[in-house]
Amino acid sequence: MDLTTTYSEEELVLLLKQQSRDAFNYLYRQYSAVLYGVINKVVYDEQTAQDVLQEVFVKIWSNIGQYDAKKGRIYTWMINIARNASIDKLRSKGEIMKGKIQTGEDVVNNLERGMKAEQMTDTIGLRKMVANLKPEYETIITLAYFKGYTLDEISKTLGMPLGTVKTRMRNGIQQLRAIFNN
Amino acid sequence: MNTKEYIESGILEAYLLDTLSEEEREQVATNIALYPELAKELQEIENTMFRYAESFAVTPPPALQDKIWNEISNNAVNAGKAADSAPKVNKTIPLQPQYRKPAIDWRYAAMIAILIGSLALNYILWNQGRQDKQETTALNEQMGKLQADQQQLASLLSDYRSAKVMMADTGVQTIVMHTMQSGHPMAATLYWSKGSGDAYVAMDALPMPPKGMQYQLWVIQKGKPVSMGTLPNDMANTPVMQKIAMQVTTGEAFAISLEKQGGNPTPTNVYVLGKA
Repeated sequence: MDLTTTYSEEELVLLLKQQSRDAFNYLYRQYSAVLYGVINKVVYDEQTAQDVLQEVFVKIWSNIGQYDAKKGRIYTWMINIARNASIDKLRSKGEIMKGKIQTGEDVVNNLERGMKAEQMTDTIGLRKMVANLKPEYETIITLAYFKGYTLDEISKTLGMPLGTVKTRMRNGIQQLRAIFNN
Repeated sequence: MNTKEYIESGILEAYLLDTLSEEEREQVATNIALYPELAKELQEIENTMFRYAESFAVTPPPALQDKIWNEISNNAVNAGKAADSAPKVNKTIPLQPQYRKPAIDWRYAAMIAILIGSLALNYILWNQGRQDKQETTALNEQMGKLQADQQQLASLLSDYRSAKVMMADTGVQTIVMHTMQSGHPMAATLYWSKGSGDAYVAMDALPMPPKGMQYQLWVIQKGKPVSMGTLPNDMANTPVMQKIAMQVTTGEAFAISLEKQGGNPTPTNVYVLGKA
């Protein structure tokens, strides 16, 4: 199997269920950087992030039978696994409590810290585009997408009505959509 | 429901970002299943968020790939599953029986049950025959038929045994045949032991053929398709493996095409193809 082989999602799921090394290599090649990026948004310690990435692949590998294509795309499923594993790791280390009561300023600091870890990426062009996302949207999307906050928690952390959080979430993703479609 | 207002509310974004309560999530999932325009919008949001995640991609340290694979293999061994932790040449995929094993074990059980049932029936019939000599001739006939059935089952059993031996053979190459019809995700798998010439096929993700049509398997030898015979329709869309009667020791690729019942001398409509 050469390096340029690409599979449709259906084929990938099929291959994963056969549990072959080829399937693993393909999965790793296609998705390790995205999943590692997601983990790095939550976990800042490099060794811990590597441990989490390993846990994530083991989980994908052993739980592929539970993936339900009707509920969403395979990459959404995998990103959810990566995010939840990262948050679980922080929680087990007792860092999540700190996280959930942090002030708005801390949130911004953490965002900046998160960005420093990613300077060596293959996706600098995309990063530049994403940098255009309005800060008030970015904060909400980051809290939800990477930190696993619920609507309620975001509303309390930022002292903002629930309805506003929801609208900003939509407007933020709309802005990203426009950025990517250009 | 006013789907436009529903979309505008931002609930789908909140759903995808997994920020809803259990109850709200179920509700949204139901609505998505009911209204295709919601599903379409959700798909757009998913794409956007994947690209967003991609923008933060970080390549992990290169040594991690092998380390993780070893962990996965060890895990499989610990879980009592057969796994091959030794690094392999890419082309030869170690066959891991855990995925198909249940189907074979189930069939074993079924066949053994039938064998036992058939033996018991033989005994009862034989006993009755002794009691009622007038029926002996008819019973003898029936016993003959049952014995033939038994032989058939025994030979089926030995087929499955040899299939198991084949699966344990690391010289067997797995060839995934990919769709040749754009927009139609289809796939099938061929297990080929080049050394022995044995080949097995599974039409994992091929749709049931329309009436009067049948799938036909081909091996491409020196650029020319050579028929390996037609495949039974009831195998379509199942992980069931079937041994190919024809022995094949050379070939660059394998393909499955849709043909009229009984097959054709050359392929007319190739569905999937995979390089050996």
